Amino acid sequence: MAGETIEREDTRRIGSLLDRAPVDAETLIGIGTILPVILLYLIISIIPVGFAVWASLHEIPLLNPNWTYIGLSNYAEVLRIDRFWASLWRGVVFMVGSTLLQLVVGLWIALTLNQIKVAQKLMTAVVFSAYLIPTIVVALGGLFMFDTFVGVLHQIGSETLGLWGENTFALGTHQWAMPLVVLIGSWKFSIFITIFALAQLRAIPMRFYEAAKICGANRWEMFRDITLPRIQGVILVAVLLRSIFMFNKFDLIWILTNGGPGYATTTLPVLAYREAFEAANYGLANAIAVVMFVFLALGGVAYFKVFNPSDEVET
Amino acid sequence: MGTKTESDRSGTFGLDFRTEDKLYRVALGMSAFIFFVFIVFPIYWVFQSSLKTRNAIQTGGITWFPSSEGFTLSNYEVLFNSDVGLYLLNSVIVTLGTVLSVIVISLVAGYGLARIQFNHKANFARFLLFGYMFSPIVLGLPLYLIWQDLGLLNTRIGLIIALTAISMPFSVWLMWKYIQTIPRAMEESAWVAGASRWRTFRDVVVPQTQPAMIAAALFAFALAWSDFTFARILLPQNSATTFAPGILRLINQSYSFAWSDMMAASMLMTIPPLLFAYFLQSYLLKGFQIRSL
Repeated sequence: MAGETIEREDTRRIGSLLDRAPVDAETLIGIGTILPVILLYLIISIIPVGFAVWASLHEIPLLNPNWTYIGLSNYAEVLRIDRFWASLWRGVVFMVGSTLLQLVVGLWIALTLNQIKVAQKLMTAVVFSAYLIPTIVVALGGLFMFDTFVGVLHQIGSETLGLWGENTFALGTHQWAMPLVVLIGSWKFSIFITIFALAQLRAIPMRFYEAAKICGANRWEMFRDITLPRIQGVILVAVLLRSIFMFNKFDLIWILTNGGPGYATTTLPVLAYREAFEAANYGLANAIAVVMFVFLALGGVAYFKVFNPSDEVET
Repeated sequence: MGTKTESDRSGTFGLDFRTEDKLYRVALGMSAFIFFVFIVFPIYWVFQSSLKTRNAIQTGGITWFPSSEGFTLSNYEVLFNSDVGLYLLNSVIVTLGTVLSVIVISLVAGYGLARIQFNHKANFARFLLFGYMFSPIVLGLPLYLIWQDLGLLNTRIGLIIALTAISMPFSVWLMWKYIQTIPRAMEESAWVAGASRWRTFRDVVVPQTQPAMIAAALFAFALAWSDFTFARILLPQNSATTFAPGILRLINQSYSFAWSDMMAASMLMTIPPLLFAYFLQSYLLKGFQIRSL
């Protein structure tokens, strides 16, 4: 067809132009393919982080367009206020507690799911849906089940187990708020570990176990020598990702407790949000965000140094 | 336990094989039962509560089933509540938009990384992984003012852009790895037959990446469907908001919005994930078979 020939000639002309360009066509096409990703990252990550750094050097009342340059004093204030250090500590408790619980439960579920023969597909589907159910639904379900008047878990906790009083809203107490937030979050996020581990478990060839059986290995030996080495690497990756995600977790805590009672469940992301939209101190909030980013970036660099995750993928 | 002959080699804890096998089966069954209850109980409880009348929830005490006079389907009329309906519609639009753009962008980038040689490829991949370190709250706070300046605040497209970017590290790496497993020879033979690079990409590569596309779509879906933080910060107005922040606002504002309505709305948000998990679980697992991220 006529159109096609013209098109081809055009391409050829562009091609010959490209041949004379300082970079070769291959590089241009290559960069072209990743350009959308680079642009997205520029808009969503690089510019905001730069903007946050810039904003953190100012005093910014949220509803007032006037920025006052105040240098590093937001940072000085961040490092001075008790709220920050207490939130950091709570964040670490939340992160470590959640990750450990999720690791144990997630692995347990994966190992069991991989072995059961009955209704495996249905079971897997139900388990996976826990991960796919939106956090808001998990949190609303949690609020409902711990409600003082109509909540089934509230009743179990107060009457059956005697953990708290009959009229006590457990999520509103200093003692129970944090453990319950960890527990409710782990219901959903344990499955993240399960998915990672199960994917690896399914990839282990059956003949490994058959060979081990012939050699007379028992179940524990098979687990120790075949299963564990195969899932070790991915568990490390999953645990690291989970720690990062839990450190950053905002939505679950905010919906369940608003960071309260008082500051009992205020981790760093919640503190940043409260400073911005409750205390209307946008500059200080950004300073907190930048400090968080520095923590995570250091964590990220350490992660690459220790695990070098791109090793296996490089061509 | 006395001396052992060669034939009864000891199993775990020195038990003989038959006892060990029996114990193992019992333990496995019990463990499956326990975690199944642990996962299903909350879903079931939300579901059965969504079928109770307000009155049955408030005064009927805690029961395992809706009683015959406490049973109702009317809570699901919450779907036609103008606010909730709008939130759900917004969520659907944002999720679809995110899923589509994630598939297209990651497919192209994955192809580029896998098949085209250019400098700094590895650096780019590292840089992508760095995206995991950006907390939604760290990005959301500045984005609020940036989106305001760009006129993207309170628009669905603004949220789609943000969520697409957040899904990128995983989906690009997934595509990259997946395309590497497709034999190069197929493309080469198409080239020899005179197909352009674009034709080859479209007709040879794309159809074969279907599993990776489904896995990437599933992750984008999970992220967008459940997003709260970005939606809360970037959609401050009621008219554009998605389900998660919208329903929370509704709860905080109105006294007429009861638990039963809320549970019905929650079930509506839960059904799509249940369906996805049942029909697409093998793709989900395939997506996670990546050894490293």
